[in-house]
Amino acid sequence: MSTLTKFSAIPYTGPAPTNRSPYLPAGVEQIDARALEIGAKIASPDLEHEAGQDMPTFVVERGKIVDALRALRDHQDLQFTLPLDLWGVDYPRRRDVGRFDVMYQLYSLKNNERVRLKVHVREDESVPTSVGVFRGYNWFEREVWDMFGIRFEGHPNLRRILCHEAFQGHALRKDYDPAQRWLLTEKDIAKIIPTIVLPREESDFEQVTLNLGPSHPATHGTLRIVVTLDGETIIGAESEIGYLHRCFEKMSETHTYQQVIPFTDRLNYCSAIINNVGYCMAVEKLLAIEAPPRAQHIRLMLSEFMRIADHIVCIGANLVDMGALTNFWYLFQPREEILGLVESCCGARLLPSYTRIGGLAVDAPSDFLSNAQRLVDKLPKYIDDVDKLVTRNRIFLDRVVGVAPITAADAINFGFTGPCLRACGVPYDVRKAQPYGGYETYDFDVPIAEAGDTNARYLVRMEEMRQSIRIIQQGIDRGLPAGPVIVNDPYVALPPKAKVYNEMESLIYHFKLIMHGIQPPVGEVYFRVEGANGELGFYVVSDGTKNPYRVRVRPPCFPIFEAYSHMIIGQTIPDAIAALGSLNIIAGELDH
Amino acid sequence: MGIIKVQPKPLSVSERLYIPNVLKGMVVTFGHLVRNLFNIKKLPLISYPEVKRIYSERFRGRHILTTRDDGTTRCVACFMCSTACPAECITIKAGEDERTREKFPVRYEIDLLRCIFCGYCVDACPEDAIYMTRDYEMAIDTRARSVVGLRDLVVPPNFPVGPMGWRPYYGQIEKHGTAGGTGVGQALRQAPFPDEAPPNPDVFRG
Repeated sequence: MSTLTKFSAIPYTGPAPTNRSPYLPAGVEQIDARALEIGAKIASPDLEHEAGQDMPTFVVERGKIVDALRALRDHQDLQFTLPLDLWGVDYPRRRDVGRFDVMYQLYSLKNNERVRLKVHVREDESVPTSVGVFRGYNWFEREVWDMFGIRFEGHPNLRRILCHEAFQGHALRKDYDPAQRWLLTEKDIAKIIPTIVLPREESDFEQVTLNLGPSHPATHGTLRIVVTLDGETIIGAESEIGYLHRCFEKMSETHTYQQVIPFTDRLNYCSAIINNVGYCMAVEKLLAIEAPPRAQHIRLMLSEFMRIADHIVCIGANLVDMGALTNFWYLFQPREEILGLVESCCGARLLPSYTRIGGLAVDAPSDFLSNAQRLVDKLPKYIDDVDKLVTRNRIFLDRVVGVAPITAADAINFGFTGPCLRACGVPYDVRKAQPYGGYETYDFDVPIAEAGDTNARYLVRMEEMRQSIRIIQQGIDRGLPAGPVIVNDPYVALPPKAKVYNEMESLIYHFKLIMHGIQPPVGEVYFRVEGANGELGFYVVSDGTKNPYRVRVRPPCFPIFEAYSHMIIGQTIPDAIAALGSLNIIAGELDH
Repeated sequence: MGIIKVQPKPLSVSERLYIPNVLKGMVVTFGHLVRNLFNIKKLPLISYPEVKRIYSERFRGRHILTTRDDGTTRCVACFMCSTACPAECITIKAGEDERTREKFPVRYEIDLLRCIFCGYCVDACPEDAIYMTRDYEMAIDTRARSVVGLRDLVVPPNFPVGPMGWRPYYGQIEKHGTAGGTGVGQALRQAPFPDEAPPNPDVFRG
């Protein structure tokens, strides 16, 4: 059997019959009531409320979307200032309102709430660009253009972003055949000339355009930044991404819900368990189930371990870029041990695929807590070593203080989340703001800094590692709750092997689940976790079949890397390298 | 909500002096050097390939196909593993035994270059037929050799438990502890695990 036959063009056949009632989120009355309140506050344009969604959702007319976004952002009581996400969904069978949905998600730091806007678009129609309201939507709109072919009128730079220039068609349309291959030849490659943003007086130096990356030791992944230099000062920059694009979202549509979990590992491969948890919790929300307490406890502890590991990679590699190689060695030993702990749970170090929808693949080993305790005892020593070597080191501070700063207002406008936003003084952490998986019962602090420069990001990450250790210590002290690690629901979780070998009924459930997969009710959900880089969101649409209709991942680095080329203007090349390391751009996540 | 500010203080005059600060840094690095010199055995170092790292008993390495006591392959070519495989790397061709009317795999191939070692095939198998081992040395020199067939996968009956990794159940293994998983230091256990008990798939069947 050729491996490609399975991917050949399968025309979309519409929602499959499902015996479940459509998905209704918990607390839908409050959400709808709140949506009506928000709708009443916005006088113009009209926001048409869509009931029964997991967050206040409005359908906006195509021409009025910019006004709606601006009204939501500027309203005194609402202040939806943080543009979280923008994505598209394709419903080719829908005839009445147009084929595509373009979705906007905003977050209000003031009221700690989210809102989703939907715009219905026909195939020949375009949407006015919202770059003027939220700068961060620039790349998101390019992505929707690339993936769905929806034009954004007035967009300053509507090029393909994830696929290459020779790519034909738009990959996330349902009628796109994923078995097609497009070859990029040298003559197709577009020449990128960065727009000169920084006006310079006449100088004797010739301006030079230089490629940083895509394979450069300082870019830590396949990123490419085209910079224009005047001497050593960067006067123009443009980032180019997509070198690691593996069509995660399209792959998810041709695989079952359970099979998507190994793909999520490959998003942010430095902290894969957090991705696993985020995706599984999104599907669990759709299924209206909750993982058992024991599974949640292990998930939370391993997530925090992975967060430490991710920050270790970021800080260690960042310091290597600045010539401080020793720290890398000191930090990578505890990382190695953290990955060892993960491996003892699930058998793989970097790409664990440990969670399953409804819980975990297997229980943690019997010595999990004692190993975790040993690690927690050791970790502060390693962090302190780096602290002693670097934090008050004059050479280090000369390299990082005031380098590539970003103000809080800009960071919010770009859609920053995570440590990079907290380094600007905005204390937004999903674990505190909208706790999930038991974080509300843990005692920890959110570190913030004010400068928003490379040093602030370094300090926030260092403190976050200490806070994560605090969380893990509390988790160890509480002990693992007794009970199973996966829900006892034969439509969701595989029955135990002992039963599969012995009982006919379990064997049938086993067979049904492998062959026909989990079939969640029809509906759409968004679920977010605090990834190591910021808010990691999964938006899942189910049409009742075994394959997700649409999986959208909100990669936290995406808006951060978008802002990067703005942050380095006026800086020098070594500063740009130091700043890039401190943002922790993970190419796997950035490029989906 | 607890918020900590980690605003850096400006450097004091003594902190701005180079030489004392360089020496301060040296104290840390030389501390490591001295500690390592006197604890060479505890160095976080594995001299591969002389010393091999031993992973935990859940390690998801190369696959094996188990056999029944009479020497026939347990696999009944039900295609569950190839269906569950997210990477679509398993190819099975089923045949029928003339004598016993049992289905069995005529061809069973795993493309190890496509395989992502997620362990879903092991979870999906209803016949206790496919396991993963702790073998992680899979270097090959041609692409063709990445496809392993029945000849490479099927192991004789009473295959020792020691090298086994990810498998459907973990009944008797926990007594070894979780092996090399945590900590580089622990991974230096050179002796493989004692091959005491042969795999006993009937452990749940009695």
